[in-house]
Amino acid sequence: MPPRLGKLDAEAFAKAGAHEILGYKTEPWTLKKAQILNLNHEIDDDLGDFLLPRTMHPAIPAYATFTVVVCAESPVGGFALGEVKVAGRAGVRPRDFVLRSFCDNADARRELAQRWGYPTAPGEVKLTARHDRVIGTIVADGRSVLEMEMLDRDMISGNDIQYLASMHLARNRDDGQLVLVQVDPEFTFAHAERGRPLIRMLDSAACGDTGGHLKLRNPISMSYAIADIALPKIRFICDPERPAFQGTTRVAA
Amino acid sequence: MKFGIFYEISVPRPWERDTEKRVYDNCLEQVMLADELGFDQVWAVEHHFLEEYSHCSAPEIFLTACAMKTRNIRIGHGIIVCVPQFNHPIKIAERTATMDIVSGGRLEVGTGRSATWTELGGFNVNPDETKKTWDEIVHCLPKMWTRERFGYEGRSWSMPVRTILPKPYQKPHPPLWVAVTSPGTEIDAAERGMGSLGLTFGSFKEQAEKVKNYRRIIRNCEPVGEFVNEKVSTVNFLYCHEETDKGVKHGRRLLGTFNFLAAQLLAAREAYPTKSYPSLGLLPTLRQEAAGPGDDHGVPEGIAIGDPERVLRACKNWESVGVDRVNFLLNALETIPQNDVLESLRTFAKHVMPHFRDDTQAAAAAGGR
Repeated sequence: MPPRLGKLDAEAFAKAGAHEILGYKTEPWTLKKAQILNLNHEIDDDLGDFLLPRTMHPAIPAYATFTVVVCAESPVGGFALGEVKVAGRAGVRPRDFVLRSFCDNADARRELAQRWGYPTAPGEVKLTARHDRVIGTIVADGRSVLEMEMLDRDMISGNDIQYLASMHLARNRDDGQLVLVQVDPEFTFAHAERGRPLIRMLDSAACGDTGGHLKLRNPISMSYAIADIALPKIRFICDPERPAFQGTTRVAA
Repeated sequence: MKFGIFYEISVPRPWERDTEKRVYDNCLEQVMLADELGFDQVWAVEHHFLEEYSHCSAPEIFLTACAMKTRNIRIGHGIIVCVPQFNHPIKIAERTATMDIVSGGRLEVGTGRSATWTELGGFNVNPDETKKTWDEIVHCLPKMWTRERFGYEGRSWSMPVRTILPKPYQKPHPPLWVAVTSPGTEIDAAERGMGSLGLTFGSFKEQAEKVKNYRRIIRNCEPVGEFVNEKVSTVNFLYCHEETDKGVKHGRRLLGTFNFLAAQLLAAREAYPTKSYPSLGLLPTLRQEAAGPGDDHGVPEGIAIGDPERVLRACKNWESVGVDRVNFLLNALETIPQNDVLESLRTFAKHVMPHFRDDTQAAAAAGGR
């Protein structure tokens, strides 16, 4: 019996969201004192398989991650990034597959796509920290995509937080091949909180889920952190149509 | 040094009517053989919702069947998840006492708290609370077993005074163990006078340090029970075959299958930021260790797969760092055919066990000297 793997048609999915990546030779970026709001939410297990490429297999239970990151400074100026991701595993490693990301800075969108394969679309991304909650929102084409809140803020240690490395579906400009680019940032935490997760609104179709497969089930957790993020060199890429055990290529030491 | 076997009860898809029955029957057959061969303990985990990885949600039933079909092997109920939403403490005391009676005093009791969001979330458990509830329950359990009447008012559970029945057959009570996965849990075990039931193995150096620490601390422990159970067990894979290549090939397939399955599970720490779970727990840790740098055949340090000489060397190394017992995982997803699993047990008993024992029972049973 073959292992349970994702069922996403990568070529079809790429038409709507994947960008060109300029080889895999990017230099690292450090994003100082970024604010990160992160929500984990269980999703429908069977439908969730349709949101993962065939490279990956699902977590049990399936879950999605919603993230808003505000970077006050970067080599192309400040930007805010919102992401909708489905967690899975590439081989034995836990990884997030990014369905869609939204960014409010055109230069950042271009650089993130060309250097790390981020499937970015234009969008207004906001993070608002209030005394009793932290709110993250994404608006694209004048329509709300995501509204989420972290309630009952409580201090924790940054050591308690684990963000997954992510997989970005992109087309390599050199050979035209569709690839999954693994991006594994490092985080140095200055502040961390945990709270009760609440999703007020989600338009999953705006995130590429045109089949209606992203069905929210049981909320898990939410965290808010301030951290330095090191976006590293790209180390691995995967063939989106083959299991990671067979289709992974190392591109940098 | 003694040897046990350890069950997750892993069931491959597709799940047809007979699939689970076949796996359970295979496990029971292995346990009966292990009993004949002189393995001294059989352990079965408690897991819930872990598709394919472990269909062992009612280990007390499986272990009772084991007890009924064997004569000598001790029955390791562990770990029992000591979280009231999973197992009410009164039921733990009653159930284990009954198992001890029907097994004729062969029960060992392993305690723990679950390490996956898959399970904790399924029972609506707050991961921040599990260590505290575990601690409360392990302090209560021996009293529930040994006192005629027992009442309790605690943080996570309470009960008015009642007589908890039956009482265990072993006096004063069965040995108690703690599942040791996260770094430092061996200290929790030592401080409470409980056995260290290692569910990861790490390097020999790391294990030696842990054992040394455990034995130092347990000398001044405040035992939760009526006696101190100073024992260190660790877990390992076993596939032993007289032909090196076959032993390594089958064994590596077992490792790979286990790793793939374990990867699917959602560790508490991955999903839910909490200091209550400082490491990813058993599954990813064991997975990483089993995928570590290997020898000439690509077999990671200390893994008991390959020919008898290699397996013997691994076991001797564990003995040298102070481990009292190794509990072996024999299969995953039935990737090794049942006859090969049985033959592996026989080969181990014939060629490896005699190097650790004075008597010849195991070798004789396996057709050896």
